[in-house]
Amino acid sequence: MPAPRLTVYACAAVLAAAVSYGLLRMPLQLHDAVEEIMAADRSPGVWASFTSTIGETAYFRPLRIAETKLLFDLSGGHYFAAYKTFHIALLVAAFALFVALLPIETWTDAAAALFALTVFAGLHTFLGLVREAFPINHFLQVAVLVLVAVHLSRARPRTAVDVAANIAFVLACLTLESGVLVWVAAVASRLAGRRGISDRGLVAMTALLAAYGVVRFMVLAPHVQAMANASGYFFERLEGPEIRARFGAGLSRFSVYNVLASIATVLFSEPRGGVFVFFRALSLAAVPPRMWINIVSSTLTTLLIGVAVSRRTERRGPFGSAVLIFAAVLVASAAASFAYAKDEIMSAAGVFYALVAFWAVRELLARNLHRAAAALVSVLLLVAGSGWAIRTIGVAHVLRTQAFTVRNDWAEIPEAMEKRGTWPTEPSTQQLVLRLRDGALRMPVVNPWFIPRWADRVFDGDYF
Amino acid sequence: MRLRVACAAVPALIGLVVAGAAAPLFWRGGSLNLAEAAALRDAGEAVRLIASGADPNATYPLRPGILAAESLTPLEAAVGARRAEMVELLMLHGAKVDLAGWRRLNCFAQKTGATDVVTTLDHFAPATARASCEGISTPF
Repeated sequence: MPAPRLTVYACAAVLAAAVSYGLLRMPLQLHDAVEEIMAADRSPGVWASFTSTIGETAYFRPLRIAETKLLFDLSGGHYFAAYKTFHIALLVAAFALFVALLPIETWTDAAAALFALTVFAGLHTFLGLVREAFPINHFLQVAVLVLVAVHLSRARPRTAVDVAANIAFVLACLTLESGVLVWVAAVASRLAGRRGISDRGLVAMTALLAAYGVVRFMVLAPHVQAMANASGYFFERLEGPEIRARFGAGLSRFSVYNVLASIATVLFSEPRGGVFVFFRALSLAAVPPRMWINIVSSTLTTLLIGVAVSRRTERRGPFGSAVLIFAAVLVASAAASFAYAKDEIMSAAGVFYALVAFWAVRELLARNLHRAAAALVSVLLLVAGSGWAIRTIGVAHVLRTQAFTVRNDWAEIPEAMEKRGTWPTEPSTQQLVLRLRDGALRMPVVNPWFIPRWADRVFDGDYF
Repeated sequence: MRLRVACAAVPALIGLVVAGAAAPLFWRGGSLNLAEAAALRDAGEAVRLIASGADPNATYPLRPGILAAESLTPLEAAVGARRAEMVELLMLHGAKVDLAGWRRLNCFAQKTGATDVVTTLDHFAPATARASCEGISTPF
């Protein structure tokens, strides 16, 4: 293996190991996870779990429920180990699939790849892949399956590739609504000239998409209408009922806002969850360094991508393909955010943003530039790269902060569940929850008092 | 071109090395006693310590910089830090207050201006408790 590629792979492995270490230091989540684990405990089997929520809730994610049950059964009582192992396996797959998409032969390629790696891990949408698990992180699972589809599109065309692509599509769609991004990425890859997934394979996938659309938006339509998540709108955060009261139940200017805000969050790290946090802070003359770091690194990188795209000589080729796939995934993810803006929904688009950043930086490094232009590009790369480096380092800070919050959530169990009326009646399920609680409380986490005050100002965190 | 390559690679390399190799350093903290955990919103640690045998009614030394006192009981620390939820948690996990202790905590909470803490303490008020703070000394 060439030394440049080996260097990048080593860096990716070390970073993946560090994030995995953070995941292992974080207790299993309570909110949005313990109910799923309790359901897995009660369920008689994987198939029963798969079918249990179809038509019952606003969501259509039967595979996630089935996976939760499968891991529960396979764990042999070691629930933390089972769910964390699965999360880490997905994370490692995401890193491996991302780096494998980068052609690294020279040190110039390696420099662009290292830059892209920090964009991949430093972009705020990446946090949605690691900060939470329910107890499975379905956003990460979809991102991995979309990356698989892109790899398959580059493979030698054969029946096995078509079958694998369609399986990836089905798995993704049954995991999360964003799973349709597998189809989007496959079609965009085909339009970009990649023939790994044949036309026949794409037709089959399109037929599956149509079937999915009928089930999701016709059979389950009443539940879709019932979705009422909180979301941002310019400088404020609105609750579901507030959104309905102000904009009505159907498509409205709020839907258009969500789509545009979701595109902007990937390109500029602003708004966050639909809220323009940077400009809100600016209006209060209180912008913490982390907001400057986020917005400057993202805006400069988007600028560099824009320059590289506008100046590239060949319309097709790997750079053009990457841009086309990114644009398709970005627009499709944003369209899927029409009901509410949530950064996690944009996590797959964030992965492809990092991929495009690789090609753009590579192009700008390899091109012969005038001295002034070369100096300007150097400065922009240095500033943007430094920002991404800080953001990447900040992932550990976000995880340890989250670990503290999650452990404190468990401290209120069972009293909080009794108050909410969610405390199980079966003694065996009660014992299960208490075991999970005891396991969470035994885990040593870092109290924020031991963390330097500047860390909260420099590294990213929650905005709401 | 070398300058451009360096400008792209060096910050990224530093970031990746720090984020990767130094990750365990991010997870280094320190141990807290029960009063410190109560003052520092560490409900998880407070419950763990009590389950491990720590006395929720004992007095514990406090590190400088946590609160303006050298030693406090966990309840006093929770009140001093204005943590209503921590007061409730401690009461649920074995902390006890007699009439004199409740009056002292109540007056302490009033002094800090934390109305939610005063309200929470009211739920645990002994039947004969009076709200007067005359002659009552508070930790700070």
